[in-house]
Amino acid sequence: MILRPLRISIVPALLGLLCALASAAIAGADEPVPGKSAPEKTGLEQQPGDKPPVAPANAVAATDTFAHRVQPFLAQHCYDCHSGKEPKGSLDLKVFGDAAAVGKDRDTWAKIVEYLEGEVMPPEDQPRPKKQDVEAVTTWVSDELAKLDNSGRRDPGRVTIRRLNRAEYNNTIRDLLGIDFRPADDFPSDDVGYGFDSIGDVLSMPPLLLEKYLAAAEQIVERAILVPQGPKRETIHTSSKELLPADVGERRRGARWLNSNGELYADVQLTAGEAALRVKASGEQAGDKPVRIVLRVDGKDLKKFSVNAKSADPEVYEAKFDSPGGKHRVSAAFFNEYHNPDEPDPKKRDRSLSVNFIDVDGFVEFDPLSLPESHKRIIFRQPKSADPKSPATPEEQDACAREIFARFATRAYRRPANDGEIDRLMRLARLAREQGDPFEKGIQLALEAVLVSPHFLFRVELDGEAIVDDEVGGQAETGEATKTITDAVRPLSDYQLASRLSYFLWSSMPDEELFALAAAGQLSKDGNLEAQTKRLLADKKSQALVDNFASQWLQIRNLSLASPSRQQFPDFDEPLRRAMQKETEMFFESVVREDRSVLDFLDADYTFVNERLAKHYGIADIKGDEFRRVTLSDPRRRGILTQASVLTITSNPTRTSPVKRGRWILEQILGTPPPPPPPDIPELEQVKLSGSLRQKMEQHRANPSCATCHARMDPLGFGLENFDAIGAWREKDGEFAIDPSGTLPGGKTFAGPAELRTILKGRHEQFCRNLARKLLTYALGRGLEPTDNHAVSQIVAAVEADGYKFSTLVVEIAKSEPFQLRRDLGAEP
Amino acid sequence: MSQQQRIPRRTVLKGLGTAIALPLLDCMLPRAVRGAIVPRPVAPTRMAFLYIPNGVHMPDWTPTSTGGDFELPASLQPITPHKDHLLVLSGLAQDKARANGDGPGDHARALSTFLTGCQAYKTNGANIRVGVSVDQVAAQKIGHRTRFPSLELGCDRGAQSGNCDSGYSCAYSSNISWRTPTTPMAKEIDPRLVFERLFGGDRKDETEKVRGNRQLYRKSVLDFVGDDAKSLRARLGGADRRKLDEYLVGVREVEQRIAHAESNAAQELPKYARPDGIPKAYQEHIRLMCDLQVLAFQGDLTRVSTFIFANDGSNRSYAFMEVPEGHHDLSHHGGDKQKQAKIAKINHFHVSQLAYLVERMKQVPEGEGTLLDHAMVAYGSGIGDGNRHNHDQLPILLLGKGSGGLKSGRHLLYEKETPLNNLWLSMLDRMEANTEHLGDATGRLDGLSG
Repeated sequence: MILRPLRISIVPALLGLLCALASAAIAGADEPVPGKSAPEKTGLEQQPGDKPPVAPANAVAATDTFAHRVQPFLAQHCYDCHSGKEPKGSLDLKVFGDAAAVGKDRDTWAKIVEYLEGEVMPPEDQPRPKKQDVEAVTTWVSDELAKLDNSGRRDPGRVTIRRLNRAEYNNTIRDLLGIDFRPADDFPSDDVGYGFDSIGDVLSMPPLLLEKYLAAAEQIVERAILVPQGPKRETIHTSSKELLPADVGERRRGARWLNSNGELYADVQLTAGEAALRVKASGEQAGDKPVRIVLRVDGKDLKKFSVNAKSADPEVYEAKFDSPGGKHRVSAAFFNEYHNPDEPDPKKRDRSLSVNFIDVDGFVEFDPLSLPESHKRIIFRQPKSADPKSPATPEEQDACAREIFARFATRAYRRPANDGEIDRLMRLARLAREQGDPFEKGIQLALEAVLVSPHFLFRVELDGEAIVDDEVGGQAETGEATKTITDAVRPLSDYQLASRLSYFLWSSMPDEELFALAAAGQLSKDGNLEAQTKRLLADKKSQALVDNFASQWLQIRNLSLASPSRQQFPDFDEPLRRAMQKETEMFFESVVREDRSVLDFLDADYTFVNERLAKHYGIADIKGDEFRRVTLSDPRRRGILTQASVLTITSNPTRTSPVKRGRWILEQILGTPPPPPPPDIPELEQVKLSGSLRQKMEQHRANPSCATCHARMDPLGFGLENFDAIGAWREKDGEFAIDPSGTLPGGKTFAGPAELRTILKGRHEQFCRNLARKLLTYALGRGLEPTDNHAVSQIVAAVEADGYKFSTLVVEIAKSEPFQLRRDLGAEP
Repeated sequence: MSQQQRIPRRTVLKGLGTAIALPLLDCMLPRAVRGAIVPRPVAPTRMAFLYIPNGVHMPDWTPTSTGGDFELPASLQPITPHKDHLLVLSGLAQDKARANGDGPGDHARALSTFLTGCQAYKTNGANIRVGVSVDQVAAQKIGHRTRFPSLELGCDRGAQSGNCDSGYSCAYSSNISWRTPTTPMAKEIDPRLVFERLFGGDRKDETEKVRGNRQLYRKSVLDFVGDDAKSLRARLGGADRRKLDEYLVGVREVEQRIAHAESNAAQELPKYARPDGIPKAYQEHIRLMCDLQVLAFQGDLTRVSTFIFANDGSNRSYAFMEVPEGHHDLSHHGGDKQKQAKIAKINHFHVSQLAYLVERMKQVPEGEGTLLDHAMVAYGSGIGDGNRHNHDQLPILLLGKGSGGLKSGRHLLYEKETPLNNLWLSMLDRMEANTEHLGDATGRLDGLSG
């Protein structure tokens, strides 16, 4: 946390330090030292308490270089703007007086390297420094940064207790209770931080949400568990389709039509009590009498009716009866058929009856076979009673409840529930009994409490829980605050690790296999973690990575908010919006499922389309709504960059926005976001801009205060100008021909989208690092700190060494220190 | 299809004025006096805060003369029928929405600072902090008198992904109401859920005994989880502990709600068609939210509400009124006259919805007057001109008579840099929720009572 106050100044600092894409090469700067193997857990020689990383001998040399090479360079090329009372971009380089300064603000120095190597700074209108001078500075700073990353104090961080977000809540309820019911869809949306909605610090708990949790818990337990009751009044509905005999009458327009006398019936089971028979029917009249029917129970006439209702507006005919209990055959019979072939009006030749349904309203016995699966799973031990007519003894009920709660709460809390917790749940069960409610009501009540408990709603990683885990179901008072924890950094307990894994890959709770390994203390042992990570990734539940990670990384969740102008883009409609989204989801999923190289995100030669989207892309011969994989022959459209979803969310409603597209690439693909726009954008009213969008933007950029940043963003966007605001190919923008060529800072040029993509693919290390950072942020639920750089570098190195396989990226994250370890309370960072 | 959806609301509005005027007055009384002969109670004062994003086109907004004799400029035309209930307040500033050293991010700051008057801590995630908002000060002082201490409504969800504004967490650009400096009050955007929350509490077919048990069970569950939270809290530190504090606040609030429901008559379901989700048409959505606020005020379910028409920085398209461009995109008009005209059109549209709300309030008779006479509806943006991102000369309207506390029908021009929070302090006074400090307030706003 020591960096916090400094970091505030960084953002504005970057304002002045304008831009460079070409900087990509710098990503190599904080590379891990080649050949250095992944650290083992015990390899954390450097404890967080220990002091500075730089060895004294080096320190002299470092000071030397700083004083002789770096400072003079800064003085000659930078101080003019970046020092004094109002330094450009609020970045004052004079504050860095010695070599140790690098360690005090690693983020800023990393940016300095990025901007120097990318030739963004010094700006174009200033004298160019000599190449070897720049190299001397960047090499030295990079080395210093690498030293800090690799030998410096390593801190796995302390993730703030995470509330389940909406997706996680829905999935956890599904897996915990086995009922598919998405209560969290009605919860307020979760706030986003660092680009994701899984960040502990940002997931707040407003009172409204607690209210929703309570209401949801009530509904969930009522669905999952049935409280057996005495006979209940119910309506047994038999539709016209199900009415017997199946071959009587003609089936049309959701009814059964009888042209001659006949009877339709249904068989129902009732218990003793008052019942009612209801028949919905209508008639086609002919002759001088209305259609007549009789309602019968077990062959006995109950009541006769004239059916005057028309088929467009059928009516319900009802008769009451007393049932002694048992099986009944209920029926409606048509008994006054009429045929007159001589009638001149053909509609009046036949009298006929139409029946829509037969309902019986009566008392129905509780049927134990109708219990939902979830009920049987949760109440796996039913209290036994000597006399089936009366409830089991309180002792027997308590014994069952205890077992039920121990199993349920352990799964819900994702760690063994202790005796104290179960005792308290037992009190709720007894409370229900004292109120005269049945056993199942007590179970419902206790489960409801579990589902609102902070132990369920939050993913808690208690310090010292590792000790608790060893004594499954052990003593009640464990891990209390009184216990002194001496180790500042500790591996997570197996249960905590199981949750981290399952929420990372499934956005849900661990399954039985993970729990079993955790209970045996085996999850972190040997190759289990890697094997389990791969198992979870291969499971279909890892679809959660698409729904929650990909949709936020690529920002396609914003697609639902995009509102392209219908006048300008009449092709845009809901089916197209859905197709765009589906394409990107399926594409991401294919990389996961087929364990492809993550570089395929940039330029895979295949994608997924249905007819609608194929037409949008100009791909011929695709018919129907089904999505299918197609190979892309056109080199201009490949990879996520040119998918319509991404192109649409980075556009304005009426036009493309090269700035937004450029920014999207810098942020989401390369991980080098441009500084935010300055607060006082100068007004442009004096200058009348004209020409194509590109020409206008270039005139705009003539303004030096805009130029440097836009030199970085705009060319990237220009390279995609052939794709309109909904991602369709175009050669012209209105009357102007599109010029998709561009020059990036540093001088690299491209002629159009295909070459731009080639340049980006050349930056694979940078792309991979950025993806690793995003996925690690998502997995951890916290923003990354400079202390995470080392772990990121190791992940990237391993992924590169293994052909950029997606699974390697995931496994390496799971094996990384920030994922495996935790700094305990009270330990200073 | 919007035709179809429109019908139920219209039908419903017929019932608005009458359906629940009586229970309101009755349920305000403590149980002990209910049934006895009591003096006629006075209707309580209510406050609503309505927020519009991206500033406005000020030349079409600010009246040219001050005092009681002023013409409504183009953007304020829709409010004409309610001019005698209107105060146009010009010149107010929200200084803490400025960068003050934090760099860009005016949209996030504009919204999170609007009701707090505090500088938002610039962070993408860790340590979110701004300040307690005026509505929550009122909620904490007088919220216990109603079933819901406050109501938070909006039309946009929080951002679903990505950065919201220049290094500020999305929590800042989608939340206007802050319970504590670190806890934003999530807003409800689905009219159906608002309705169910307000009116759906009790089940009709329950017997007295079942209902009694349900309340008992709910309370025991709350006790249980409250104990869990307290003991867990003791084992946590720092940021973790804050999360548990938020949780405990929620528990207490629901407990109060239950207690309130026990000592008051069951809420009568208003004669209002249950909304069935978020309407496609934006205007319909806004109006449903307005209706629900009126219903909540009318039934005295709450006395405090906030309503965000759209999150700040919103790039919503107003294609339905021939403004297909994104609002935010337009607001950076660069002096372009056509763009300014379109912004004015959007402003006019929003003010029309305000006029709708005010009209609804006027239709509810209360005591000698109407609900509007007992209300204070503040309306405005935390940005003046969207192109300049200035946070002074804010567009602010105040409607209603505040139970006699406001002398309306005037345009007041304040000295430059007068804190907007001074207005909030003055409104709190009229809610019997007065406080001495709120954000950067320097005192009360002069002249509101004439």
